[in-house]
Amino acid sequence: MTIKVRFFARFRELLGTDLILDYPAGATLAPFVRDIAMKKKDGYDALFDEHGTFREFVIIMRNGKRVEHGDAAALPLADGDEVAIFPPVAGG
Amino acid sequence: MIAIQTEDVNIGNLIEEAKRAGTGAVVVFDGIVRDDDIREMELEAYEEVALAELEKIADEATREHHLLHVDIIHRIGRLAVGENILIIVVSAGHRPDAYAGSRFIIEAIKKHVPIWKKELRKDGDRWVPGEHPHGTNTPR
Repeated sequence: MTIKVRFFARFRELLGTDLILDYPAGATLAPFVRDIAMKKKDGYDALFDEHGTFREFVIIMRNGKRVEHGDAAALPLADGDEVAIFPPVAGG
Repeated sequence: MIAIQTEDVNIGNLIEEAKRAGTGAVVVFDGIVRDDDIREMELEAYEEVALAELEKIADEATREHHLLHVDIIHRIGRLAVGENILIIVVSAGHRPDAYAGSRFIIEAIKKHVPIWKKELRKDGDRWVPGEHPHGTNTPR
């Protein structure tokens, strides 16, 4: 299946953005993001703590809807999904 | 007009367009790049989500504060000191609603809209930290 991943702000600088990835069916969100982030240590460390869980301030969306950290581990991804990961917002 | 764009807008025109039947007050909020020893500011948005969120905020402000008209224009890209970042123009029948509606909109934007600012400083670049930690800045 194909998943689009978008990182923003500092996370974009560390990990890139608009990544289109072919990934095995049945993947769930948190392990999927962990897998991508592992390719760049600074990016991984920005998103995940020493236990491999999302840092508290990291915001996760799937298809434009917020995903709570507690749901991310088991949330199944589907072909065509867009996952967005970003730090706290600072507009205005 | 609800927009995320690189271009600036003519605030005078927005004020004129905000004067709908029954208008007794127009309030303008103009957020500007402050000279905090920076060269420029770079703004980035998750545009589709941010625009939808701005529209929700405008609808909620209109409902809660009896607004007659709302414009929200948030700029992105590179902006110099003194340039407009965010323009909010609201009109209402009476000033308490216009002031309250404008305040509601700016505070909601700071909490909920996925936009980020990077200061390009003389001594190195710096992402402006979000004011609202995880748990209170939920993009709805």
